[in-house]
Amino acid sequence: MLATIIVHELKNILFSPKFSVTVAVASVLLLLSVVAGIGQYRAAAAQYETTTQLVQQEMREARGWMALTNKVLRRPDPMQIFVSGVANDVGRLSGVNAFQAVKLSHSTFSDDPVYAVFRFIDLSFIVAVVFSLLAVLFTYDAVNGEKERGTLQLTFANAVPRAQYILGKFAGAWLGLVLPLLVPMLLSLLLLAVTAVPMTAEEWGRTVLLFGGAVLYVTVFVALGILLSTLTPRSSASFLYALVLWVCAVFIVPRAGTTLAGHLVPVPTVAETEARRDAFAKDRWAQYEAQMQSRWKERNAPLEGMTKEEREAYRDEKMWEWMEQDDQDRKQVQTDIDEQARRLTEELRNRRMEQERLAFTLSRLSPASSFQLAAMNLAGTDIALKTRYEDALNGYRTLFNEYKEKKAKESGNSGGFRIEVNSDTGVKIDAGRERGVLDLTGMPQFTHPSPSAAETMRSAFIDLGLLGLFSLAAFAGAFVRFLRYDVR
Amino acid sequence: MSVHTMLEAVNLSKRYEDGALAVDDVSFSVRPGEIFAMLGGNGAGKTTTINIFLNFLEPTAGEARINGIAAHRAPLEAKRHVAFVSENVMLYPTFTAVQNLDYFARLGGKTQYTADDYRRVLLRVGLQEEAHHKKLKGFSKGMRQKCGIAIAILKDAPAILLDEPTSGLDPKSGFEFMQLLGSLRDEGKAVLMSTHDIFRAKETADTIGIMRQGRLVMQRSRAGLAGEDLERLYMEHMAGVHE
Amino acid sequence: MLVHIIEKELRDIVGSAKFAVNFSIGTALILLSFYTGAQNHRIAQEQHEAALAANVRQYEGVTDWMRVQSFRIFLPPQPVAALVNGVSNDIGRTVEVRGRGELRSQDSRYGDDPIFAMFRFLDLDFIVTVILTLFAVLFGYDAVNGEKERGTLRLTFANAVPRTVFITGKCAGTFLGLAVPLIIPFLLGALLLPVFGVPMSGPDWTALALVTGAGLLTMGAYLLLSVWVSARTERSSTSFLVLLSVWIMTVIVLPRLSAAGADLFVSVPSMDEVNSQKSRFMSQLWNEDRTKMNGFTPANKGDVQEVMKEFNRYMQTLADDREKRFNEFAGRLNEERANRQMEHRRLTQYLSCLSPAALFTLAASELAGTSLRLEEEYLAQAREYQKEYARFMKEKTGTNTGGFAMVFRMVTDDNAEKPKPINIAEVPAFRFVPPAAEAGLPPFTIFSGTIALYALLSFAGAYRAFRTYDVR
Repeated sequence: MLATIIVHELKNILFSPKFSVTVAVASVLLLLSVVAGIGQYRAAAAQYETTTQLVQQEMREARGWMALTNKVLRRPDPMQIFVSGVANDVGRLSGVNAFQAVKLSHSTFSDDPVYAVFRFIDLSFIVAVVFSLLAVLFTYDAVNGEKERGTLQLTFANAVPRAQYILGKFAGAWLGLVLPLLVPMLLSLLLLAVTAVPMTAEEWGRTVLLFGGAVLYVTVFVALGILLSTLTPRSSASFLYALVLWVCAVFIVPRAGTTLAGHLVPVPTVAETEARRDAFAKDRWAQYEAQMQSRWKERNAPLEGMTKEEREAYRDEKMWEWMEQDDQDRKQVQTDIDEQARRLTEELRNRRMEQERLAFTLSRLSPASSFQLAAMNLAGTDIALKTRYEDALNGYRTLFNEYKEKKAKESGNSGGFRIEVNSDTGVKIDAGRERGVLDLTGMPQFTHPSPSAAETMRSAFIDLGLLGLFSLAAFAGAFVRFLRYDVR
Repeated sequence: MSVHTMLEAVNLSKRYEDGALAVDDVSFSVRPGEIFAMLGGNGAGKTTTINIFLNFLEPTAGEARINGIAAHRAPLEAKRHVAFVSENVMLYPTFTAVQNLDYFARLGGKTQYTADDYRRVLLRVGLQEEAHHKKLKGFSKGMRQKCGIAIAILKDAPAILLDEPTSGLDPKSGFEFMQLLGSLRDEGKAVLMSTHDIFRAKETADTIGIMRQGRLVMQRSRAGLAGEDLERLYMEHMAGVHE
Repeated sequence: MLVHIIEKELRDIVGSAKFAVNFSIGTALILLSFYTGAQNHRIAQEQHEAALAANVRQYEGVTDWMRVQSFRIFLPPQPVAALVNGVSNDIGRTVEVRGRGELRSQDSRYGDDPIFAMFRFLDLDFIVTVILTLFAVLFGYDAVNGEKERGTLRLTFANAVPRTVFITGKCAGTFLGLAVPLIIPFLLGALLLPVFGVPMSGPDWTALALVTGAGLLTMGAYLLLSVWVSARTERSSTSFLVLLSVWIMTVIVLPRLSAAGADLFVSVPSMDEVNSQKSRFMSQLWNEDRTKMNGFTPANKGDVQEVMKEFNRYMQTLADDREKRFNEFAGRLNEERANRQMEHRRLTQYLSCLSPAALFTLAASELAGTSLRLEEEYLAQAREYQKEYARFMKEKTGTNTGGFAMVFRMVTDDNAEKPKPINIAEVPAFRFVPPAAEAGLPPFTIFSGTIALYALLSFAGAYRAFRTYDVR
């Protein structure tokens, strides 16, 4: 009996020309987005390679070890093919050196705002927008439409248990919608394999989970559509409700949720934080200078009354010690500045985290947000992308600077300016070595951060769990409602 | 009573684009004060004939004239002289009965009607007063049909075309409807209606035509039918006995 | 006759459930977009002021202008931009000015707070392109075939009603029923702006009015398109599916594919590549100059202060020369990239012209001053500012080395007079003049003219299709 109903429902959907055309278009679109995504990924990867090499070249040609600065680019992630998330909004590169804090700049959208005008299309977007619409459109009259056509009465003139009927309806509609989703998804996996997009086993796993999430998301809307059709006596009414529900879930709740959180928990801008950091740095350097001045006096005090030769000898003797001491202090200043910057960043981040938590809680009222959040988490293009990279870059900055210091010390050439002022010999300016190439072997390499599997799973499962709950609740509602449905 | 014809089909033929001949050389005329009932099975060409009178379809050959005007030559002019009641009209579900009447009356060029006029005509077609200001959404088929007839009456045209007007009406409403039609005839309207209802056709119509496969296979006045069993005749024609 | 049809159409719409939905949701969303726009503007204004204040605060206690190596300027939030975001959240808001060298904007809103980039904002552009166009489809999809399904088309044409009058009345009535009620929330929302403290100037009001007009026009284009499709199909369920597909394609898919589509034909050299080339050239120049610096011999070896001054002057001539050569080099690269970018943008725009919704986005952002011109304008003004800043700094310090100078300080005596702190307020203020609305008017006219063309074509199509429509 159940099988008959499912098959009938499936046939009803699949053999309807309108359905097949619409769904075929959506499937093609899905595949198209993956093809476009692969193209974009390849272009980005090629660009990444070229630029990284240019950076290396530039570093080898640096004028000395102390002047060495590095630039780290975010490596394009194949998962972006499916879910671009915030990958195009977050800066792609950051300078790494001793005198500047780490900062991601040059996002795709700020480099080429033309892409920001309409943004891109990707698989998660098509699923979130188009497939959810199709799901409600082909289920909004599942029950009340049958009643209007009189087929409901006819069906229940037979010994059909209601539970089986509604279950069959659901299963049939679900299959009808999930099949056109699965086929292009499987094809896109094939496409990835054929075009040899470098994906790790873990990334394949994440992709499969992402696709599972997409199916779950469509399930929510199938169940919601059926629920609506059992709640309203006329299909024209449920049609309107379905559209309203879709608009709210897909477009309004996510946007309104984040905007509201933005209003409730304001976060200072990066520019403001940086200005605060710079103010501290300026103060700290001024303090250092004052210290230097008094120290200079201290050091020169014993010189009183010495002959020129004695002074020279004394200076030569103390020179190394003084330089060490000054260097130590200079480093301390830099450390203090970095520490302050870290504190400020943390403050900013805590504030931002509070905002994010609220934004997520609010926007998760909509299954579309849940799906998109889960998708971004699985693809690693979630908002934590930025902090993840910033943390990794900060760690790398320490390593890189240590390496640089060591090398500079070894080579004995700072590469910087040296201005020697001597009341006896006058002013000497040394602008460093001639051209040459630095040997960068042994330089620490940046390890691109990726979210830990545990972390991803934890956050993705919240949203996938929510989707499961949504569909369960909607279906249970439809089920209970239909058991007492007036089939006349 | 004047003798000129109000509705006239002259060698009317209609061949659809797919080649099917829906109306095949049909000629008849309806004078003022006459009810002409077209009988026939599904697909006999009755509705097509009415559609040609309304210029919803262009005839392949011949003419359908209303008050002497060929419908397909001067459709707007011709339609001024005709009112139409269709089968199962839904009307505007968000409008009340009176609002529907008002709109169509205006389209028919009648702008002078008052609320009282609408009340009277709705009562005349048998719609209870409490329904007059209700939206059509909740109306039954019969109630909607009554509104449709009221719309036709309000147009006050010399000719009335009716396409299966009694389908979906209960027997009592059907009876009342036929009485109404009789009174319209008495006012001098020329009435052309297509129907399946042999019994009522026999009771009310002045002339009865039977259509089969696009041809008017029989046309007789009520006098000419006296003593004949219309039902038997109809069945025989349907079975092609008289060919 | 026409009046009766329009009147009936209006009544029919006002009594329908979809009108209730359109009116309530449309009103709520429009008001919400004005509200969030005003709130966003307030927050952006606060952030802007905080950034300005913090920027000034960092120079507190600085006693030497030579210490002011750079000065940050910020793009102030614009009132209309809060309603039509355009790319204003995607482009950098901060520019660090050093007195010479290339300028770059950084710290975009979405880059700073990617949380808003995830779903973006509820601005008027979104409301019009996504919600109102959907309503238009909803109102128009059964305009003709729905009447047929209800049997009223037959009844109507049993009267002496010319078809042209009917279709015109249908379009006009539906449009009025759709658009007029939405003017109320637009007006109400506009009234709320001053209440929420958004400073709207005269041109701002004009821009907002024109954007609203273009929004209604876009809605009209989708409505007429829907009427056309409904006059070409027998059943309203068919026309709805057709229109929904058209809607998805033109609102959601095509605009998003346009930039990627343009990539296929125009490749823009990546910013990284250009930057790498520039920085390599720069370091090459530096290396050359270092040799020159080593050869610096002061005229007066005795007076250290004089030597430093001389050295800085020497550095400046080097810097001037370097800048000249660099600018030549970078100018070539920039121009090449800018040309390609222009070509790419134009193609993107052409491609997105296939969609009336995309056209609205382009038109609205032009008037709101949030189109791609915003960044160009900002950087152009920042460059002008940099010249002013450089003049100022030269006045104060005697040199303009682009944030790089040697300072030599002699410490003579503890009892010497403490140097006075500088007054940072003396630095010329950067005042961003938003791109004049008049400048946005020509592209706005072109874009909205194209929307009007779509509307006209759809009407002509509907008109033609209805002339031979089978009303039975």
